[in-house]
This record gives sequence, structure tokens and C-alpha cells, in this order.
Amino acid sequence: MRKSQRRRLSAVLRYVVLSLWTLVAFFPIYWMVSTSFKPDTQWFSWPPVYFPDPPTLSNYLNVWFGAEEYTTTQYSISSQKPFISLGNSTVIASISTFLAVLFGSVIAYGVSRYRILSEVRMFQLLMLRMIPPIVVVAPLSLYYSAIGLLDTMTGLIMIYFITSLPYAVWMMKSFIDEVPREIEQAAEILGASRWRTVFEIVLPLVRSGLVATFLFILILTWSEYLLALIITKTQVSTLPIELSKYQGSTEGRVYGRQAALAVGITIPLMIAGLIIRKHLARGFSFGMVRR
Amino acid sequence: MARIELCNLTKSFGAVVAVKTLNITIEDGEFVVFVGPSGCGKTTTLRMIAGFEDPTSGEIRIGDRVVNDLEPRDRGLGMVFQTHALFPHKTIRQNIEFGLRMKKVPPAERAQRVREVAEMVHISHLLDKMPAQCSGGETQRVALARTLVTNPSTFLLDEPLSSLDAKLRRELRAECDRLHEALKRTFIYVTHDQEEAMTLADRIVVMRAGEIVQTGSPMEIYSNPVNYFVADFFGSPSMNLVAGEVLQESSASRFRSARFEVALPKHFRTAKPGATTLGIRPEHVAVTRDGKGDVELPVRLVEPLGKDTLLYFDSGTERAFVAVTEGLDMADIKVGERIALSLDQRRIYLFDDKGQRIGNAK
Amino acid sequence: MSVAAVPAAQVQALPSTRELSRRRAITRFRWSILGPLIALLVFVLMPVLFLQLYFSLHQWTVYLGTWWDAEYVGLELFQEVLTDPRFGWAVVRSLSFATGSTIGCFLIGFALAYLMYKPFRGQAFYYIIFILPMLTVPVVVAYTAEMMLYQSGPLNDLITRIIGIEFKPAWLTNPHIALPTVMLLEIWNWAPFSFIIMLAGLTAIPKEPIEAAEILGASKWRIFWEVQLPLLRPVIFLALVLRFLEAMAEFPKTWALLQGGPGTATETLPVYIFLTTWQYFQISKGAAMSYIVMLLMVVIVLFAIRLLRREKRSLDTMYAKAAARPQELA
Repeated sequence: MRKSQRRRLSAVLRYVVLSLWTLVAFFPIYWMVSTSFKPDTQWFSWPPVYFPDPPTLSNYLNVWFGAEEYTTTQYSISSQKPFISLGNSTVIASISTFLAVLFGSVIAYGVSRYRILSEVRMFQLLMLRMIPPIVVVAPLSLYYSAIGLLDTMTGLIMIYFITSLPYAVWMMKSFIDEVPREIEQAAEILGASRWRTVFEIVLPLVRSGLVATFLFILILTWSEYLLALIITKTQVSTLPIELSKYQGSTEGRVYGRQAALAVGITIPLMIAGLIIRKHLARGFSFGMVRR
Repeated sequence: MARIELCNLTKSFGAVVAVKTLNITIEDGEFVVFVGPSGCGKTTTLRMIAGFEDPTSGEIRIGDRVVNDLEPRDRGLGMVFQTHALFPHKTIRQNIEFGLRMKKVPPAERAQRVREVAEMVHISHLLDKMPAQCSGGETQRVALARTLVTNPSTFLLDEPLSSLDAKLRRELRAECDRLHEALKRTFIYVTHDQEEAMTLADRIVVMRAGEIVQTGSPMEIYSNPVNYFVADFFGSPSMNLVAGEVLQESSASRFRSARFEVALPKHFRTAKPGATTLGIRPEHVAVTRDGKGDVELPVRLVEPLGKDTLLYFDSGTERAFVAVTEGLDMADIKVGERIALSLDQRRIYLFDDKGQRIGNAK
Repeated sequence: MSVAAVPAAQVQALPSTRELSRRRAITRFRWSILGPLIALLVFVLMPVLFLQLYFSLHQWTVYLGTWWDAEYVGLELFQEVLTDPRFGWAVVRSLSFATGSTIGCFLIGFALAYLMYKPFRGQAFYYIIFILPMLTVPVVVAYTAEMMLYQSGPLNDLITRIIGIEFKPAWLTNPHIALPTVMLLEIWNWAPFSFIIMLAGLTAIPKEPIEAAEILGASKWRIFWEVQLPLLRPVIFLALVLRFLEAMAEFPKTWALLQGGPGTATETLPVYIFLTTWQYFQISKGAAMSYIVMLLMVVIVLFAIRLLRREKRSLDTMYAKAAARPQELA
């Protein structure tokens, strides 16, 4: 085989493999989206319906706006309040993420420039994330109920802040490390004070890093399930919990409704993820990937 | 005025001593070049003067004032970094203006001075561009301008040209020289490039392993190196250094190595017999094709450069013995041909087994 | 001029006043930022760990009156947990679930990354598609799986159509394949994670050594084993370690989809702890179990951290030039 032929063959093979995985990766997402547009008779039919016929918005209207579209009210679950959950999720995720990124960047700056945490401590910080929450969630909920934080946004924000701090610190550190110290020193020798250097030189240079870190952690807190399940009861519930309320309810299989809600939960996440797609690896790489 | 004195300056990083009890006075308006191989402590010294590193011990005085306890911004210095360190998110104008803003200079005067400085280093057309849009030479000019505009008493330049290609380097070297002439300020310049040091400096400070080896004017350093290291470091092509031994015979002193033997001038009568290195610069080796000379060596390589031709001879060591001949007359010499060479007696250097210079050339 | 070498010990002079005041400022900075943080951790985590310990030493469930009057039972609960075969099986399930899904994620992620690290037409498209599963909320993954995996569901239907033979495994109700099903979901969900890390690692490898090896006549296979793989080792460890830890803690998919069922087929450690505590209300047993799992995880995490630090150090030496000298406090 000649070199050019071998090249072409390997290129074709590559496209075949990648396209196969594309199908695997994409089909479940397609199924979720298409189910959300299916009328109730097609959710669970034999043979399966691959294309909604006709596509309907009734699932969305029913789930999100409590519209009574069906005469058999069996499938309408208007008692749930997805918009309230959406609000909760937004507030909880964004405040805890904001706090984590704020503290995280200051710590990261301190570590990067002044070594306020040694390398060992930096790795130990990861414990906050790596110990599975299930092992502390029971005493946590008891403790929270004792101090009145159970079923409150504050409680959830606090614990999310703690668990997302390690990633915030590590990720911001990777961005701050990339700002050459010489640039800061140039500002310094030109007469700029410490604070001015930070605000006028360092911050603008890591702005995209801040956005990336923020969205990255938002993704993690937005989809968190276990802590939200235990710590929120009735007053405050986040979207993943709202979705899980459809499960095992007496109404039977309500796939279309679930899918309509699931699509709503997933879209913000995917948008955030696609915005920061180039930086995703950083959040997890702990300085192990050199550029 | 900005006379800079370094007294017993020492810096160690843990167990590594980067700079060892350095003493030197840099006069106001002088252009001093610190030169040496990488890791010799020259950049650390500069950064201690700037205030980015704290000396482990010793004093730094600027204009008779001890500045060890002053922050970099209070030392009245300007610095140009190796990586130019321009603020990538600011335009060239904002970059240059930055130092003036920090000094609370009113906007009108600011604009005026930015214009002047930009003109001085020929970057007026770049003012509204971003650093990323400028070429390597341009960014370095901007870095110079940004330092110039604050009118510091002393300029610290940390290998400012090392990231540029040869042609730009020459161009900016001339620029530095011109600025020094025009401004009459102290320039402290760090480089590992001996050619830069030779062309720019009023005074060269040669450093190795954290210590000063020799200081002096470029000519002194070149024609009067104190040891093997300095002799080898300066000059391009570098000095021929041949290991061998000195023989003190009744009538004269001689130097003998694997491939040749030469008589030594009288002032080496006192040199101790034994292992010695002979040094002579390529331009002091005369090539004659009629076969009369001190030594005869086979040619290993001929390198016609245009203005000169370099001849590399096999002197029995790994390192070739080089001679420079003017023009292209010798370009047709065949490899392997044996050629007679005569060494300029007055320009022979000898170094003892510790690398120290023996005797005095004059 | 030059002075004889001075031993480092002799030049250790007193730090300058500027250095001292700077050190003080840094100390102030350090504590003003770490102080509140440590206070928060103490405020939240200390009582939690204390309660955890208390409950694992005292027998209490919700209908036994107030918890502070619970009876002290010593290590009885730990004994109960450690002799509980269900707990043992949960450990086995968790470990095999984590191992299997970690390896699966890694192999798929690495393969995809290897096919994609050089630029080609459509690279951006494939990248976007491949990270989508990671951007799906785990609970949503669970419910979508339910919509697809019932016995006459679309997945079986599609496979039957493609291979032409009836293919009808009961993905979720057959106890023998329920755990592998969840494992496949975990792989689907998180292979993108291994993929992006490996892709970043592969693109970060400098081209020159590979090209050099090519010129020297090495085959692709040799280059892979002798150049790329050793350079990738830290990143590989990272991908494996993080995935394993996350998989050990996996709860949302397993729970939302199967609640440990059918029978106890998918009862991993998190699920069993959850069931014990929140369904059987054996708070104390749950606490003892949590304690044991926590210790197990701390051991694993400490080991993982050691591993990661070792790899990071080896990277630092490899890239010694790029790594900054010990940061001077400026």
C-alpha cells in the first residue's frame, strides 16, 4: 500500500469510528428531546416512535405552565412549581458559585504569587471535593435542622460553596499562573501599587479565566443531586429534585413531561458548557496539563 | 545623582549561592554591561538592584542612599524586561502612559510626553495598536519607550534583545547606544552575548558562578583577559587555546603541544615549566603560502565569509586552530593541505593549569 | 575582586526590614483570607463529624425519642456493619462499578482523543458532540435511560433492526445486567471527561520529540509506546484517579433509576447508606457505615493525592525550565 492510500484509509477509519461514537453520544439526547415533543400515546409505545407525530408543545405547556391540555387529567401534574425551582436553582447555584470563584481567585492569587498554601495543602484541599458527600449528608442534615439551616437556600449555598472551592482555587490558579510575573513587575517598577496592579493588570488578563471558572462550577452545582435531595424538603427545591418528583409517582410513566422538564434543566448547562468548552480540561487538570 | 554602589552583595536561594559578595561602583552616566554565561548571577544582581529580589546580605546604594528597604517603585529606576512585559490588554499608548498615570501627571502633559518619546524611538505610528499587533523589534522599542517616559535616573535592561534575530538586534543595539548618548543616564545592561557587551559598554563586568571575574573597558577585556575563561568568552571567532607545556631551556623558552612547538617571547622567561595553555587570537595568526612560519598544520576546514576567510587547522586537539585571512584569497585552499603559520609573538597569552594568566603581555 | 566561595550557611544574614514587613503583610493576607474559610469549615464540618461519631457510637433511630438520650453502645454498630453481608456486597459492587466504569471511560476517552488530537476537518463538530453527555444533568441521564431501556424500548428495537435477530435484554429489571447497565450509563455520561483530559494531554505533548522519533524510523506503534505514553503518564493517572473517586461516590443515576434494585443488584455503597439512613431510618447504623466508608475513602484519596503529587513533581522536573524558581515574595 502506498503512503497516500494508507493515509486515506486511516482518515476514513477515523471518520467511521468518530461518527459511530457520535451516534452513541447523541442518540440519548435526541431521544430526550424528541420525547418531550411527543403526545402522550407515543411516550411508551410499541414499536417505539422515533419522530414525534405530530410534534406537540403540550408537555412543555403542562410542565412549565400547568396548562390542562388533556381531558384525562391523569398526566397533568400542575401541583409542581418548576419556575420556583428554576429560581431556586439559579439563586443557589449562582450565589454559591460566585462566592467560590471570589474566594477561590483570591486564594489562587495568594498561592500563585505568595505561596500562602503549600503544594501539599493545595492537594489536601481537594479532599473537600473527593470525599463522597453521602458519608456526611445524614449528620449534616441533622446539624442543619438544629441550627435552622435545613430546607433553606443558605444551607445549600454554604455546602456548595465548600465543595466547589477546591476546583475554583485550582482552576483560577492555572489561569493566574499564566500571567507572567514580569508584567506585574513592570507595573510595579512604573510606580503602581499592589492593589492597582491586581485590578488594572492581573484581573483584566484573567477575565476569560474568571468566566470559565464561574461557568464550570455553575455546571457542577446546577446538576448536584444528593445534597439537594437531603437538605431541601418542601420550601426550597432545585430543578434536579423537581425532576425526580416525577419518578415513582402514582400517575405512572410520564416520560413526555419528564423530558420537557429535563430539556429545560439541561439547556442552560449545555450552553454554559459550550461557551467554556476550550477550558473544560483545565478545571480538572490540577496543573497536570502543560501548555 | 545616581551613582550605584553594590557592597558585599550576596544572594542565596536555599543552598545555592547565586551571587557571592559582589562589590562594584557604577558611576553616574556610565553604560555598564554585566556579561557571563547563563546562571552566572548577572540577572539576579540586576533584579536585586531593581528591588525584585532581596539580597541575602550586603548593601545596595543609589546616590549614597541605602535602598535595600525601598520598594522597586520608590527607587527611581526604569527597567526593560527580557520578555518586554508589555500589558497585553492595553494599547501601545496606554502602555507608555501607564507610568505617567501612576505619577499623577496631568493628561495634557501625558499626551505630550508620550508623543515625544514615541518619536524618539520611532513608534509614533504604533500608538493605537495593541502589543500583539507589533513585531518583535517594535515591542522592544515600545518597552524602551515605556521606560523612557518616566525619565528614570537609571535604566536596567535585562537581556532586552535576546529574543530578536541578528539584524534587529544590531539595529536596536545602535538604538540603545544612541539613547545613552542622548540621555546621559546610567545604563545597566545584562546579556550573555559578548558581542553586545563589546559594542555597547563603557565598562564590562564579566561574571561567572556568582562572582566578578574581571571588569574593564571592552578593549581591556579583549586584549588583556585575566584568565582562560575571559579569554575564551570574548571574541568571535574565539581565541585559539592549545593545551601543551612550557619548556625552559638554556637559550630560550618554548611551548610544545601535540602538533607544534613555538618559541616564546622573552617576557615568558620566568614562566614555570609544565602544563600550560597557549592562547592566540585568530587575527594574530598569519598565514603564508610560501611555507615559512613557526608551525605547519593541516587544514581541516575552509570557511569563506566574504570579507574574511576562516581557516580551521588540525592542531591535534578536538578544538580547531583558527586563522583569519582577509578577503577570499585563501578560499581555494584544499582540505588536508599543510600550511605554514606564524604567530604574532607579542599577542601570545599563556594560562597556567588553573586557568590564570601567566606573565604580562606588554 | 573575586572572593573565595562562601558556604551558604555563613551568608544567611538577617532578613532586611523590607523583607520582614513584607512577610508580615503576607502573613496578614494569608490569615485574612484563610481565617474565615477555616472558621466556616470548623463551623460546618466539625459538628458534622462529631455528630457522625456520636451516632455511630449510640443506638438511635427516629422513633427512639430525642437523639441526645440515645444509648451508648460502643463499637457494637461497627461490628454490626462489618458483619453485614449486604454491606460487604455493597463494597464489592461499588469497587467493581468504579473500576469498570473508570476503565471504560478511560479506554473510550483515550481512543477518541487519540483519533482527534491532530487537526482535521470537522474536529470542532466532533468535540462539541462528544462533550454533550458530560453536560447532561446526571438525574436527566437516569430518566432518559429509563425512557430508552425498557424491554421493548428504542434501544433494543434499534439493535434488533440492525443485527436482524431479536435482541431483548431486560436492561433494568434483570438483576444480572442491571449493574452493568448503570456502569454503561456512567461511561456514557463521563467518557467525555476522560476524553477532554486526554485530548488536552495529547495536544500538550510537544511535536518535536514525536517528529524526531518518526525521522529516526520509529513506527506509529513504537512512538505511541515509547514517546507519547510516557509523556502522558501524569495525565493518565489524573484521568483514572479522578474518575475512580467520582464513580465511588456515584449516587444520582443509580438512585434515580433503580433505588438499588432489582433486589439488591445495584446497591452500591452510597445507595446502601442512603437506604439504611433514609428508608430504614437506622440512623446509627448508617452513621457507622458512613464512618467506615469515609475512612476507606480517606485512605484511597490520600493514596490518590500521593500519586498525583508524585506525577506532578515528575512533570515539574521534566519541564524544569518552564517551572518558575521558588517564588520570591515581591
